[in-house]
Amino acid sequence: MKIILSTDLYTFISILRLELFYLFFLKFCKKNIVKTYTRIRFCFKMTNNRPLSPHLSIHKKVLTAVFSIFHRFTGIALSLGTIFIALWISLIALGPNFFYVYEQVASSLLFKFILFFWTLGIFYHLFNGIRYLYWSFGWGMDLKTVYSSGYLVLFFTIAATFIVWFYL
Amino acid sequence: MKNYARKWIIQRITAILLIPLSFWFIYHCLSFASMNYSQLFLFFKSIINSLLFLIMMISMLIHAKLGCETIIEDYVTSKSLKDISTLLINLIVYLSMIIISLAIVKIVLI
Repeated sequence: MKIILSTDLYTFISILRLELFYLFFLKFCKKNIVKTYTRIRFCFKMTNNRPLSPHLSIHKKVLTAVFSIFHRFTGIALSLGTIFIALWISLIALGPNFFYVYEQVASSLLFKFILFFWTLGIFYHLFNGIRYLYWSFGWGMDLKTVYSSGYLVLFFTIAATFIVWFYL
Repeated sequence: MKNYARKWIIQRITAILLIPLSFWFIYHCLSFASMNYSQLFLFFKSIINSLLFLIMMISMLIHAKLGCETIIEDYVTSKSLKDISTLLINLIVYLSMIIISLAIVKIVLI
């Protein structure tokens, strides 16, 4: 500082300007480097694990989203059920001695309980599936129709399950 | 991209097939509850019933396979787990297809 003070004001100011310039330049560079680094990292992440579609834990639970999630859940449950139908038909093919195993299982209360939820699941998946089918042709996609058809699906599911278990 | 479009179309076709067939199957399931073994055997002995059952089961299995594969593609991140689960699904689906067709053939012919 002593040297600077000894020289004239002009050089003092120019040095100060230079110093300030360098200071800001360095800061700018640092900021930019961090920015580009994060951007590159983000791009790398994007290519490495691509974004997953529905973040279930983050989004607010909207009715349509809940319907979609339940469609998938019932889909998984019903695909497990198909394996059991395959086992059932193979027991019929094997003979009455093997079919006795199924009769024992079917007499339990737990089997009836599971069967009730199976009917609920299959009717839900069926009616919601019809809704998705006409969505894939682009019909009934506005918000009001989507909500009303959702409630209709819920009504049909409960009504069909009720009819199957108590009226037929 | 072409492969995914084909999968999408197959999923819709099996879904359309399954709408009447599952109604048919649920309607008969109600009478299965009170049937004994010989009555059930006679039900599947008729060619129309067994053919409809076979079509329903095969389209159901294809539909289930495609649906489970899309769910896995959406939610499973690690590649090894994805590969293992798709392999397992394919194995179960093709195995149960073979089991069902063998069972139907045995009931109808023998």
